[in-house]
Amino acid sequence: MNFSNISGSFRDPAGQVFENDDRIFRIVKKQGKNRYESIVNKGILEDSISNNFLIKTKEVNNEFKKYINEENCYFLEHEKLDYISYPYEWGFYQLKDAALHHLNYQIFLLKRGFELIDSSAYNIQFLNNKPIFIDVLSIDEYKEGEYWKGHSQFLQQFLNPLLLSSHKGLQFNDWYKGNLNGIKTSELNEVLNLKDKFSLNIFLSVVLLSRLEKNNKIDPKKALAKIKNKNKFSKNSYTSMLLQLKNWIIKLRPKEKKTIWDTYSSENTYKKEEEIKKLEVISKFSRENKPEILVDIGCNDGLYSFESLKAGAKKVIGFDIDINSIDRAYKFSQKNDLNFLPLYFDAMNPSSNLGWDEKERSSFKERLHFDAMLALAFEHHLALANNVPLEQVVAWLMNVAKKGLIEFVDKEDETVKRMLYLKGDIFPNYNKKNFEKNILLKGKIINKTFISATRTIYEYNKN
Amino acid sequence: MKKIFIHLLIFNSLIISNAHAYLDPGTGSIILQAIIGAVAAGFSYCLFYWNKVKNILKKKNN
Repeated sequence: MNFSNISGSFRDPAGQVFENDDRIFRIVKKQGKNRYESIVNKGILEDSISNNFLIKTKEVNNEFKKYINEENCYFLEHEKLDYISYPYEWGFYQLKDAALHHLNYQIFLLKRGFELIDSSAYNIQFLNNKPIFIDVLSIDEYKEGEYWKGHSQFLQQFLNPLLLSSHKGLQFNDWYKGNLNGIKTSELNEVLNLKDKFSLNIFLSVVLLSRLEKNNKIDPKKALAKIKNKNKFSKNSYTSMLLQLKNWIIKLRPKEKKTIWDTYSSENTYKKEEEIKKLEVISKFSRENKPEILVDIGCNDGLYSFESLKAGAKKVIGFDIDINSIDRAYKFSQKNDLNFLPLYFDAMNPSSNLGWDEKERSSFKERLHFDAMLALAFEHHLALANNVPLEQVVAWLMNVAKKGLIEFVDKEDETVKRMLYLKGDIFPNYNKKNFEKNILLKGKIINKTFISATRTIYEYNKN
Repeated sequence: MKKIFIHLLIFNSLIISNAHAYLDPGTGSIILQAIIGAVAAGFSYCLFYWNKVKNILKKKNN
């Protein structure tokens, strides 16, 4: 049997996650044996799953009998997620919901005498529009008097990025991607101004914590002595602190900042009948192909994803560079309970392989496993706004999925004219003929629909 | 003067690296938890009694 280890799971000596035959398994090792048995025997595993806190998990020792030994004690199977996403790809409301999910789960466990031993945001994934906890071995028995071990990590990976956005209007994603552990409290403290610091919550969790961390670095002996003299932390204080954080996070909103895409769906440059034609093409494509997972590149607030789901696509993963669109799309998906997960994505700088040994977090390219693609009103942003040669744009898009729809926008289009107004027309090869030629280099043109005089949707199949 | 400056620079960098080597970054968090935990627990006690008072007043009004 081929145990292909998932490289992000190296940190935990108590277990190891691996993929086999399109299924996800976890080995519980000797170090995690007691912990695992205790969560099973006390009904924590079952309760966590039935309350939608934890991903569906079952024991599959029967299938792995010959691999069970003193070191590898249990084999578990987890429900496979359609797409693994990372906190730096989430919108504000996704990170906020993930933070609340973590706190609610911690409160739920604490009531039952258990707790989460870390606060990694990477332990939360999205099942369409709902967060779910995925690391069963992060659960351990709670010992009376203990402090919250994951407190500092929770602030860095959940709270601080949310505060950066809600107080300063700064998008956390690129900063988060630059430091995979989130945003340091001391760095956030430098960014916040006096007015922000007048809030008691911020004063305690940002200003005071930064000061304490700084002092401890200067005089570590004194700090250790202080901790040794600390009284035990009561369960009541522990729970109260979690509730206070929860109540604070519930109220957080992103600072309003209008982006150019805010009114895209309502004010785009094409007319109503063109929009109807476009929806018809999308609908027909999804009806005929019924993709298991469709990818919508440049999904905006999810209108075309929604149309695809109605017509027969099972799930849609949407990507967009505009964070406000991602927030709107996520809310839209929640409101209508769609199998639709929108994520933040910059095609000019997509997520790369990051972290330890450059394998801990996978790149966009490594996570490509889509059946079909929509890329509507998208290619000209790469070819004209970012100067990517047309042949590279087409090749890149056709690599995302083996079939799909790509909209080509002519130079005479109002949007394109606006884009080239200052830049000038420095793209002699940008035309329909070359676009078609580049598709034919990699595959076939199945259909061609004229949406307007300047816009055409191509359906392609890759060779 | 230059020598003293370099000396100070090395000395400072030693202090910082020593501090990192000896101290887990969670130390500040534990001290803070003791403070926040006490504040939050105090608030929740107050809220509990405040709600009790409110309920009594509501009943009286009804």
